[in-house]
Amino acid sequence: MALLDRTARSLLMSELLSGMALTMKYAFKRKVTINYPYEKGPISPRFKGEHALRRYPNGEERCIACKLCEAVCPAQAITIEAEPRDDGSRRTTRYDIDMTKCIYCGLCEEACPVDAIVEGPNFEFATETREELFYDKAKLLANGDRWEPELAKRLELDAPYR
Amino acid sequence: MDAFLNTSFGITILTFIEALAIIVPVLILMAYVTYAERKVLAAMQLRKGPNIVGPFGLFQPFADAIKMMFKETVVPSGANKVLFFLGPMLTFGLAVLAWAVIPVNDGWAIAKINVGVLYLFAISSLGVYGVIIAGWASNSKYAFLGALRSAAQMVSYEVSMGFVMVTVLLCVGSLNLNDVVLAQQHIWFCIPLFPMFVIFFISTLAETNRSPFDLPEGESEIVAGFFVEYSAMAFALFFLGEYTNMILMSAMTSILFLGGWLAPFGIEPFTWIPGPIWLILKIVLVLFFFLWTRATFPRYRYDQLMRLGWKVFLPLSLLWLVLTAGALMLFGWLPHAV
Amino acid sequence: MAKVTVDGIVVEVPNGSNVLQACEAAGKEVPRFCYHERLSVAGNCRMCLVEIEKAPPKPFASCAYPVADGMVVHTDSAMVRKARRGVMEFLLINHPLDCPICDQGGECDLQDQAIGYGGDTSRYTENKRAVKDKNLGPLVKTVMTRCIQCTRCIRFATEIAGVPELGATARGESMEVGTYVEKALTSELSGNLIDICPVGALTSKPYAFVARPWELKKTDSVDVLDAVGANIRIDTRGPEVLRVLPRLNEDVNEEWLGDKSRFAVDGLKRRRLDACWVRRDGKLHKASWPEAFEAIAGKLKGLDGSRIGAAAGNLADAESLLALRDLMTALGSANLDCRQDAAAVDVARRDFYSFNTSIAGIEEADALLLIGTDPRAEAPLLNARIRKRWVAGKFPVAGIGPQADLTYNVEWLGNDPALLTGDHPFFQVLRDAKKPMLILGQGALARPDGAAVLAAAWKLAAETGMLLPDWHGFNVLHTAAARVGALDLRFLPGKGGKDLAAMLGGGVDALWLLGADEFDTGRIGASTFVVYQGHHGDRGAARADVILPGAAYTEKNATYVNTEGRVQRGFLAVQPPGEAREDWKVIRAFSQLIGRTLPYDTIEAVRARLEQANPVFARLDILPRFGAADTAGPAGDPAAVSNAPFVLPVANYYQTDVISRASPTMAQCTQTLRPALAVAAE
Repeated sequence: MALLDRTARSLLMSELLSGMALTMKYAFKRKVTINYPYEKGPISPRFKGEHALRRYPNGEERCIACKLCEAVCPAQAITIEAEPRDDGSRRTTRYDIDMTKCIYCGLCEEACPVDAIVEGPNFEFATETREELFYDKAKLLANGDRWEPELAKRLELDAPYR
Repeated sequence: MDAFLNTSFGITILTFIEALAIIVPVLILMAYVTYAERKVLAAMQLRKGPNIVGPFGLFQPFADAIKMMFKETVVPSGANKVLFFLGPMLTFGLAVLAWAVIPVNDGWAIAKINVGVLYLFAISSLGVYGVIIAGWASNSKYAFLGALRSAAQMVSYEVSMGFVMVTVLLCVGSLNLNDVVLAQQHIWFCIPLFPMFVIFFISTLAETNRSPFDLPEGESEIVAGFFVEYSAMAFALFFLGEYTNMILMSAMTSILFLGGWLAPFGIEPFTWIPGPIWLILKIVLVLFFFLWTRATFPRYRYDQLMRLGWKVFLPLSLLWLVLTAGALMLFGWLPHAV
Repeated sequence: MAKVTVDGIVVEVPNGSNVLQACEAAGKEVPRFCYHERLSVAGNCRMCLVEIEKAPPKPFASCAYPVADGMVVHTDSAMVRKARRGVMEFLLINHPLDCPICDQGGECDLQDQAIGYGGDTSRYTENKRAVKDKNLGPLVKTVMTRCIQCTRCIRFATEIAGVPELGATARGESMEVGTYVEKALTSELSGNLIDICPVGALTSKPYAFVARPWELKKTDSVDVLDAVGANIRIDTRGPEVLRVLPRLNEDVNEEWLGDKSRFAVDGLKRRRLDACWVRRDGKLHKASWPEAFEAIAGKLKGLDGSRIGAAAGNLADAESLLALRDLMTALGSANLDCRQDAAAVDVARRDFYSFNTSIAGIEEADALLLIGTDPRAEAPLLNARIRKRWVAGKFPVAGIGPQADLTYNVEWLGNDPALLTGDHPFFQVLRDAKKPMLILGQGALARPDGAAVLAAAWKLAAETGMLLPDWHGFNVLHTAAARVGALDLRFLPGKGGKDLAAMLGGGVDALWLLGADEFDTGRIGASTFVVYQGHHGDRGAARADVILPGAAYTEKNATYVNTEGRVQRGFLAVQPPGEAREDWKVIRAFSQLIGRTLPYDTIEAVRARLEQANPVFARLDILPRFGAADTAGPAGDPAAVSNAPFVLPVANYYQTDVISRASPTMAQCTQTLRPALAVAAE
């Protein structure tokens, strides 16, 4: 009986037809695609996108060249050089992130004692050349200035869990 | 005018125009098959498919074509240059050549030959050469493997396809495709010969290397099969060839089983619509099945593919051939040669 | 000996030791901030608390509690841990949370021990203490808010450095460490304050914010900026030497390092020779190695060996000295000299030119005579040893030469060399001593009657009982790191050879200077062809006709012999800049070009040849103590000593060689601490 059943099913291609019916059913379902450049999906406040160096509200850069991010970076993408600034404070003279090395793990921002280096919500920073992805301090500070409202917001949202 | 058309020059011109009249729509149809394929697959996977270039992405095929034309043709350093370019040209050329005998309406065919079916069969068998040559000339293990698979697969399924066609021809009594269609005026062959229709359709999937029988280009195993080394226009020619072959096979299915240009049931209001439109609609329907199966079924394993061809389809079609012939003899339904 | 049980381990320690030492002997780590092996016990940080059985039930500060026989100590009991946590919390009350901007971060005792004993939150909500930073000069940076008042710096300055300039003012929370009146520290050992400070209160000023300890590659090496041969660790990042730290060697530098050796490394990045230069038409032009070699070979071709000479500088390593000596021998020249100061030597016996008592041996001596030397400027680490001996008591010290503040009491007998030949009441003190010693400085030897002074000093040593079978009290203190090595290799005028003075003024037609800058290059004859091989563009390079760029001491694997005759090796920490190459390789390559290939291709082969030249080079790092087997004196007539006063060889401790002259930090030190000399230099 089972043999007959199986043979009949095989000859009548019932499995194949039910499979095709399923795909046809799906063809008329609501589409889940987001029309990307025009629509964007929601992003968690913990999203780890492009890096930025933040400033204090008075314009002073936050980074104090403690080099913890450089030390913690598993991809060794961060390079820092520091020296005393004219007023004697500890500042970086060089803060480079090789975005091609970066694995976007977010350990740098976790290590940062002053919330200076952060990963922002921006993930659209594709460039035409490789060199453009070697970020220097000026680029990172510019990112910080550009994204500050979003950066502050996401830090605030994540603060209760830190 | 008639006098001019009877000169050899006139016949050449006329044939040329006829050829254009068939090739241009086929190519346009081919372009939109690629578009339809993406749209249908997308729909069945809850996606949207191309929708940026033109309204609903309708210009996407042309964008792709332009892209293909402007890309660099990379020739592998170890490739046999002559064969490397001969392969895609052969594939595309043969796919277009077959259209010479396809009747789009009663008596509307470029070559109204008596052995249309044999011609088609011969041409589609030659298609294997394009694949083998491309696979060999690329000097790449993936391409070679893909070509071998493709050749084996095409040869295997041609056998059962041949039996299916013989069955149909038995019922027609002619090798002329025009006669094949006309023989279906009372009833389309897909109804009395339904199992043959199914076998034929599945075999065309295998014959055109379409999913679920797309092992020659199985991305997950051999990258892209026999055309892995091809790029730009050479690649586009393969692409064109494959899709033209799909349309050709759909046309054959329509002619052999779905009554070609005949309106369904032969009753009004269906008969108001001209025959070529009906043929196109049937071709599109079969093509949709091609895409539908692709969206539904996973790829066959190679041994399963061979088993299906040789151990299932071949005996089944042979059996049905004998049964059909027996029935025709028994009931004296043998058609008389026209 | 007292038997003490520490955490179940029985150890025997000398009577009078403290409990902390007993714990160390048992291999138990006891956290501490104020306690330091080489300083007096202060017992004020309370971090080293331990529990002692059968004693009052309270934790004891182990550093200040003497051991007793049968004592049972627990270093890891619940009470001890609780007590240490309490101490740590108190320490952290006023310690700022500024580790991220603190240079001590990563190598901070407080940071490390807070991992073990610190809490994760603070219960302190009051205002924290803030202290004004002090200016301690150009080397030591202060952030006094971080100070935990362990007083190590005060004790170091007072006890080791001998400059009681640091002290604590006020008591309790308002206690501050400082210099009473704001002034720069005047010690040559001030850099060691940075090392002993357990927190980031005292950090290095030139190194401020430069690097983190985990970024650095550490290479063991030997200091060459004086003749003591202090053991150092070179910290590098990439191609840069960032700092130099002392390495523990009880026989040489203990764990201290002079400021010049520590801070002059920024001179390694400035005024470097990183390419060959050849003088054409009176101007130096950049050249390739083959061009430079061709220029020299072209000049040497046809020159008689006697018209070629070589002089070695103060920073040369033994390998390159050997290579140059062999090259000169191959060229048929005996004109070799390693003494730019023209100091008298007698190389007949090694004890005529080395510091025979050994630096550690100073601690055994019981009377000392200094002759024409200022050890504080010439070898501050050696001076620290003398002071250590002096602090221990019953150590009369007298000096013949210009008066100087040596951080201990010296009876200055006057600056008259003739005193050596006469008699003086202090000589009786020497005779009465069991292990008297004298130190003969280069100021006494680098003078026309140097040989006579040498002979007179030896005679005095023999007379006052310094030359005993088990005690050798005759010492020559060199100022050049290369000198003893060069003398061991006899880098001196050979038979019929000219010394440097004779080579100058046209004495030779071609002069090869191996880093020799410490003489008046104006005295070189106008027609003399000068090859300068070295690493800094200084006097020698300015006069040179061909410059061959060499490697500084941080850039080569090299052997040095210190003033004691101790053979030590430094290792390559960074690659030489640009085209510069290790010096012996340069000489070896040149020898091949002129068809007199030296018989060694690898550093191992050179060192085998070194041992062949003088077996002492086989005795690495070890210096056996020896007595005076032979009291026969060096050549020279003791009576020929003139009464011209001694002139000290080192006028400015901070700038004695090409590296320290190129160092901005050393220039700043000169300006701050030797203002008169700085003005004179301008």
